[in-house]
Amino acid sequence: MAAGLGRAAEACVGQVVLPGDLLLLPAHYDEDGEGERLRLSAGAAPVGRLLCGPGLRRSGAGLLVTKCGLLRHRPAGPGAYWVDSQQKRYVPVKGDHVIGIVTAKAGDVFKLDVGGSEPASLSYLAFEGATKRNRPNVQVGDLIYGQFLVANKDMEPEMVCIDSSGKSSGMGIIGQDGFLFKVSLGLIRKLLAPKCEIIQELSQLYPFELVLGMNGRIWVKAKTVQQTLIIVNILEASEYMTAEQRRQALAKLSGN
Amino acid sequence: SCIIEERSFVRCEDLVYGRMSFKGFNPEIEKLMVQMNSKCKEEEIEVDDKMEADVSDEEMARRYETLVGTIGKKFLRKRDQRVLKDDNEDDEVDEDRNSNIIPRKKAKKMFLKPQD
Repeated sequence: MAAGLGRAAEACVGQVVLPGDLLLLPAHYDEDGEGERLRLSAGAAPVGRLLCGPGLRRSGAGLLVTKCGLLRHRPAGPGAYWVDSQQKRYVPVKGDHVIGIVTAKAGDVFKLDVGGSEPASLSYLAFEGATKRNRPNVQVGDLIYGQFLVANKDMEPEMVCIDSSGKSSGMGIIGQDGFLFKVSLGLIRKLLAPKCEIIQELSQLYPFELVLGMNGRIWVKAKTVQQTLIIVNILEASEYMTAEQRRQALAKLSGN
Repeated sequence: SCIIEERSFVRCEDLVYGRMSFKGFNPEIEKLMVQMNSKCKEEEIEVDDKMEADVSDEEMARRYETLVGTIGKKFLRKRDQRVLKDDNEDDEVDEDRNSNIIPRKKAKKMFLKPQD
């Protein structure tokens, strides 16, 4: 029951952590009731929240690690700690935007394959401007970009293609043509990072359109089939290429 | 002071929106990219779209002003309507607001002496 003595969380940032490690947080994040009462009476300002990200779980005095990987920390905004781990299999998470493939139409509900353990369900009313008479034109085999409304281990995941204000904001059926392929989740996170060099360098090459789903699926469309395949190959290979190799490959391509 | 459990990477790492377009391949998506990413940076400043009106506000006010009178006359009783019309016919020629001459539909009713 008693875990080993925990280490301070700040000391482990950037290091490998294993499941079962206990990370201690500085005293002011402690949830101890007495401490809070004392602080309030002394008139001290309450310290902000802390986000406990994927791979970590709250436990008593600190955070318990549940996945192996590198510990990351973000000091600004609400401070956050999370574990950066490699994974290929996607687990549905509420609020994530993913690409799903329609596998079946069951009455008013579409079944989508999102790469998780169960197919997700999507109601035909969850599109922008859809009413009972005005149904969206979705066929089996179509690609849909949507977000999870419900995603936990006890229930079947549900998706929607509108946001909380009723607008589609880019979600919905992904158009014709293009190419869909699968990569690991770590690469998707790298590509979606705020200033991603890979995306910036690729955007200099040709005009193209890109949809990245958090479930590891990427859809690319460019003007010709050859350009599409070139972009696909670069994205797949960029997981294992260094920045230098990537720049050389791109220089060769733009030379051609 | 509280610890929130968050299971999504998007919130932790501030990931950008997943739909992108480059070099004008899909202009709607490019507009969306700008909108979404500025939303992230400025913490959701709501964009107020004002629908472009076909009719300007001033013209609307002018029309309404005259419209109220016109529709109001429709609901006057017959006697009141004639009174209104007689007042207008005191002059030789009828003119409406645009100074167009209205042709008189009926001859003015006067007493006609019966002819034997």
